[in-house]
Amino acid sequence: MSTVDLAVQLGTLRLKNPIATASGTFGYGLEFAEFVDLSVLGAISIKGLSLRPCHGNPPPRICETDAGMLNAIGLQNVGVEAFLSEKLPELDRLGATVIANVWGDTEEDYCAVVERIGAERRIAAIELNVSCPNVVKGGMVFGNDPVALGALVRKVREIAKRPLIVKLSPNVGDIVSTARAAVDNGADILSLINTLVGLAIDLERREPKIGFTTGGLSGPAIRHVAVRMVWEVRRALPKVPIFGIGGIEKAEDVIEFLVAGANAVQVGTANFRNPSVSAELVKGVAEWCAAHGESRVSNIVGTLKTRPRPEHTYA
Amino acid sequence: MAVNETLRVLRTLRYDARHFSLFLQAGTIGPQAQPGQFAMLQAGDGWRPYLRRAFSIADVTTWRGVPAIEFVVKVVGVGTETLGRVAEGTPVPVLGPLGVPFPIGDLGPGDRVALVAGGIGLAPLVLLARHLSEKGIQADLFYGGRNESEILKRADFERLLGPHHCRYASDDGSLGRHGLVTELFEGALAGGTRFRRVYACGPVPMFRALAGILEEAKIDGSFAFESAMACGFGVCLGCVAPTADGRFATICREGPCLPPSAIDWSRL
Repeated sequence: MSTVDLAVQLGTLRLKNPIATASGTFGYGLEFAEFVDLSVLGAISIKGLSLRPCHGNPPPRICETDAGMLNAIGLQNVGVEAFLSEKLPELDRLGATVIANVWGDTEEDYCAVVERIGAERRIAAIELNVSCPNVVKGGMVFGNDPVALGALVRKVREIAKRPLIVKLSPNVGDIVSTARAAVDNGADILSLINTLVGLAIDLERREPKIGFTTGGLSGPAIRHVAVRMVWEVRRALPKVPIFGIGGIEKAEDVIEFLVAGANAVQVGTANFRNPSVSAELVKGVAEWCAAHGESRVSNIVGTLKTRPRPEHTYA
Repeated sequence: MAVNETLRVLRTLRYDARHFSLFLQAGTIGPQAQPGQFAMLQAGDGWRPYLRRAFSIADVTTWRGVPAIEFVVKVVGVGTETLGRVAEGTPVPVLGPLGVPFPIGDLGPGDRVALVAGGIGLAPLVLLARHLSEKGIQADLFYGGRNESEILKRADFERLLGPHHCRYASDDGSLGRHGLVTELFEGALAGGTRFRRVYACGPVPMFRALAGILEEAKIDGSFAFESAMACGFGVCLGCVAPTADGRFATICREGPCLPPSAIDWSRL
């Protein structure tokens, strides 16, 4: 296994391997320290931080679906201040590579969190959450509108002192237009996708199963939508570094994202089902590469061979 | 310290079409388990059910000389149905023990406590009864269910607590008092029995009524809450309950055992 080079480069962000964990599914990382050696992971993206602590949505917040789940947590978090003072030192001690996912209701809110992080050396990158579907203000309101998104990214880019990742929403007609808006306005890296808006209904009560009515669908159910979107963005923006996210459970799923054009991945809902899965995937990807004669994992990126699409023919 | 391990099924004991006990190898989880804690079990290896399910650790015992953990399960959906069909010897991924246990460390001989169970809420109270019995603390069980056949593990409770300390209520009158378990408990209070603390597990309406009774009588309580959970260890934030101080508490990490005074019952 030592013969496989797992390191990946996303702009100026160098990761020891392509396995990161997705925001909202990995807490502040510390909750997983019992099950995973955090230092073996490429990176961890922590639960979205706001300027002030946020209580989130009233329950019920989650329900299981076939091959996944819906959630509408509402971005409950301890706030950037408590994260920096109470969580980050311990994450640093454990050797974790930390991505700070941030959000706000307004452009000013986003900027305030990013400013508070400043040039904090223990944070490897900042990830803008412009795609949460479970809040009334902020979140997807930015991510669904290329103009609003571009303006936000531009403002944040001016003050951000760490590499800037923009996490895209799949709840758009054309993912390439929001991807382009983010990159044209200074995003260093893209991560995609966030959850797909879904609705589950309790038929006996004829009520939504989730208190917020709709929720974000995640898990294996969305993987092929995510792979397709990564491929579309890679095709349109050949140079932008990409984190692929959506329904990753096993090493082959990681490889599929890399082939589609992702430079690295973030593992999400699978962390709930098996808290050790992220570290298992690091090992699994190395084994897959070794078994397939790949000496460098980065050589797999964007190697999808597609055929020209035929026009339909009539009898 | 919670462990993520795979434990084999030793035995499935069926009570009726909707209730069974699942005995797994104790692994390293069993010896650590405290009353009121729970574990997350993966039912089957498919994508329906997708998530693990949370179950109270009902007992830590043996089966044919092999250390075992017992879970008492009510079939309510695809997860519990799948778990009920798992064959002997099947490896089951288990994460546990999880959550805050019932507080019992401050009890001593001479203290008397009550255990109040509604329906499948008996589950965490079996191990509690065992620990209380080992500590020599007198405990009275008040256990209500729909009918006699859904009031489970009576022999275990009666052996651990003494038959005269186990009282039952049923919705149809087939066992014990015809009525609610909270009425049964109130009757004991009215009869002059004093309890240092009340440990309870059951449906929300039972909790709501019991919380009112305990507040009125100024009796300390610890309720083991149930909630749908994706992770079981405080990261998905899906299982929360509204708290008296205006926030949301995770049932999995701040609970499942919480004092009723911590909950905002008007928002639950």
